[in-house]
Amino acid sequence: MTKVPNMPKSWRQETKPHKFCPGCGHGLVLKALGEAIDELGIQDRVVFGCDIGCSLLAWDFFNVDTVQTHHGRTTPVLTGVKRARPDRICIAYMGDGGGYAIGSQHLVNAAARNEKLTVILVNNCNYGMTGGQMAPTTLPDMKTETSPYGRNVAETGYPTQGPEMVAAITREGAYAARGTVANVRQLKGFIKKALQNQIDGNGFSFVEALSGCPTNWSTNAKDTWAFIEETMTKYFKVGEIKAPAKKEE
Amino acid sequence: MKTTRIVEAYIGEYASGKSEVALNRALSLLRAGHKPVTLVDFDLVEPFYTLRPIKKELEEKGLQVLAWETRKTMGLGEAGTVLKPEMRWALRRTGDVIFDVGYGVGGAAKLRLVEDAPENGEMKIFVVTNIARPITGSVNDIVEYVKTLGPVDGLINNSHLGDETDAEIIQEGARIVSEAAKLLGLPVIWTTVDIRLSSQIGKTDVVGNPVFFLERHMDRTFW
Amino acid sequence: MAEKPIQGEKRVFMTGNEVVAWAALAAEADLMYGYPITPQNEVMHYWTRLAPKFGKKFLQTEDEISAGFTTCGGALAGKRCFTATAGPGNILMQESMAMAEMMRIPTVLVVQQRGGPSTGTVIYSQQEVTMTCFGGNGEGLRIVYSTGSHQELFDYVIKAFNSAWKYRFPTFVLGDGYQAKMRESLVIYDPALKGIKMEPTAPRLGLEGMPGVDRPPSHLRNTYNTEEELFEAVSELVAAYEKIAPEVVEYQEFFTDDAEVVIIAHGVVTRAAQAAVKTLRSQGIGAGHFRPVTLRPFAVDALKTIAKRAKKLLVVESAQGQLAKIVKDAIYGESVPLEGYYRPGQGITAEEIVELVKKGM
Repeated sequence: MTKVPNMPKSWRQETKPHKFCPGCGHGLVLKALGEAIDELGIQDRVVFGCDIGCSLLAWDFFNVDTVQTHHGRTTPVLTGVKRARPDRICIAYMGDGGGYAIGSQHLVNAAARNEKLTVILVNNCNYGMTGGQMAPTTLPDMKTETSPYGRNVAETGYPTQGPEMVAAITREGAYAARGTVANVRQLKGFIKKALQNQIDGNGFSFVEALSGCPTNWSTNAKDTWAFIEETMTKYFKVGEIKAPAKKEE
Repeated sequence: MKTTRIVEAYIGEYASGKSEVALNRALSLLRAGHKPVTLVDFDLVEPFYTLRPIKKELEEKGLQVLAWETRKTMGLGEAGTVLKPEMRWALRRTGDVIFDVGYGVGGAAKLRLVEDAPENGEMKIFVVTNIARPITGSVNDIVEYVKTLGPVDGLINNSHLGDETDAEIIQEGARIVSEAAKLLGLPVIWTTVDIRLSSQIGKTDVVGNPVFFLERHMDRTFW
Repeated sequence: MAEKPIQGEKRVFMTGNEVVAWAALAAEADLMYGYPITPQNEVMHYWTRLAPKFGKKFLQTEDEISAGFTTCGGALAGKRCFTATAGPGNILMQESMAMAEMMRIPTVLVVQQRGGPSTGTVIYSQQEVTMTCFGGNGEGLRIVYSTGSHQELFDYVIKAFNSAWKYRFPTFVLGDGYQAKMRESLVIYDPALKGIKMEPTAPRLGLEGMPGVDRPPSHLRNTYNTEEELFEAVSELVAAYEKIAPEVVEYQEFFTDDAEVVIIAHGVVTRAAQAAVKTLRSQGIGAGHFRPVTLRPFAVDALKTIAKRAKKLLVVESAQGQLAKIVKDAIYGESVPLEGYYRPGQGITAEEIVELVKKGM
């Protein structure tokens, strides 16, 4: 008899092993999310949306209702769901392109409207699924297929600071944090708080997760972790950026 | 007695002919009695466009092929880089292993995704070059290009013009690639020649490099 | 001063996407704006690698909406700009291309069709014909070239820049995912060698001199106040378009003079159609092939002539009747029977067409 490994209850066993590359960070982020859903007991209320790009591979990942949308349009689609069914817990899952490039206008506006939505964004500094093009979060001098000589910050700016931007444009009631697959326990904590923020009806919640993409970084296991833990953290600060003030009991 | 097996990675510029050379090499090892021989479709930028249509055919010839089958990848709208887990562990298989490595800024560094490569010393990395591709059209271009790839073990002259290939382009390629190789301090492993042109070119090219005769398979994949 | 990217002419072996990048260089394009979408990514991959060597620029925008509008901006500033896209990205481009249509902006957009609707496949189709020809909220006042080979991709990308700047309608080169990724040999050349002069560009924004003093300010708009104004503006556009249409229209005919059955196909499917006609003729069957090269403006007169002579028209396309709609519109009033062979998202072989023609006899 094949032993089935331990996995979150909200995960769909029939679609495991999943299709993400070996070494991909998505598996860990989705594990943190799965455990958060289990611990909060909301599996039957969750509506999950994924974007185009590697996040698309999560379309049959959970035993929750899921919609795969167009690139960058996961935020508005889930906004539409939430407005129609405020009792559902809506989670928009995307990559750095879907959130900070083509989806940035939607992200900014959802945040500004304080949509009761939870956005989880996986940041691996490139557009993985389409072959490794430059992303808004590509690091300075980093080589990608559309920055073959290295990202020139004079021409293309510095890596986008997403949670900081969300924190700046939202008001009291919003939640913004940045976790990392190098600390899954902490990441799960942030995701739980973000989801609880939606359950409590406080406002917009956003969690960015620093993640690895060895396939496009061309790194072995050791170098992948070094990049996530030592290099990316030079540009992306891990921690809670904004949280609602604790209410007086 | 320890048998040294063949472990080779074929890299090169986009559309340089890596897949055709790699699969012919794998088939030739099979014909020479090697067993098992595994061919790994390590194209991570266009994994669904290289070996997938002929995977079954190659497997029927006795080759083990690690490649995605389009049917098994349902649900993927953007078919880009998705590494098949078996590919990571390819070197733990017995027998010969041939890698067809796709293009990309990573160059030979892509092979770091394969467990034990390239530090394990077994692997030889060959750069497939076609002088009819403008980026690698001259001696200087080739030298500049190869330098961006990282450490490699040899060059292969795969100069051709598809259906318009003649002996001239192959021999011209032999001269240019050999000169570039000299400047890089690398050997030229082969000049490849479509078997249908065998009457025009003998066992060595005009510079003296050995000729490797290929049977075209990739023209049956849409690209 | 950077040297010319292509000196003289040379036979090379390339994929379609690369051909587009090289052709744009040969056409002296200054800027590419783009966003990743399969199967046209290599146009950007090659442009970003080659452009710096020749002093050309690139910007990866945040999405295709932006790529289309930045291309409009660059063209209004007087630079040869282009962009490339496919499928859902093409949908997003329609807004900017509608603006280009109203404001006569010389944009060049290369489309590598993929399966649709929605995300579809990343592979191939001919399902973006309606959108590329008539997308946006305009009257389809566009120039659309449908290529069928790498040589044509090279020739027509260069021509697209010239048509865009000469006639000032948004110009499109309609390829597909097969052409994008297929490998073939072709001859790349310096256009000057073939006597092709690149149409000069002129800015409409940021001109020299003090506005209001040295020159009137350039005030460009795409909105009108009354129905009458709009009617006048659009009538002018239509008149300008109809005037240039005869110069721009292109098509090819194969054995149509005495053909009983005329196969109508465009783009890469013309290869199968041409091969099918050869086979059928060798078997004594009177088949012919009409190939529109420009889908907009369409060769209405040429096709009407054929419709009057032929016993049957057979439209063959990798879409559900998008080419057929254009054909029917063109030959309205003719009584010739028309059949369609529609294979959305699927390649079509010469053998299939031969079978079809024989079955119908």
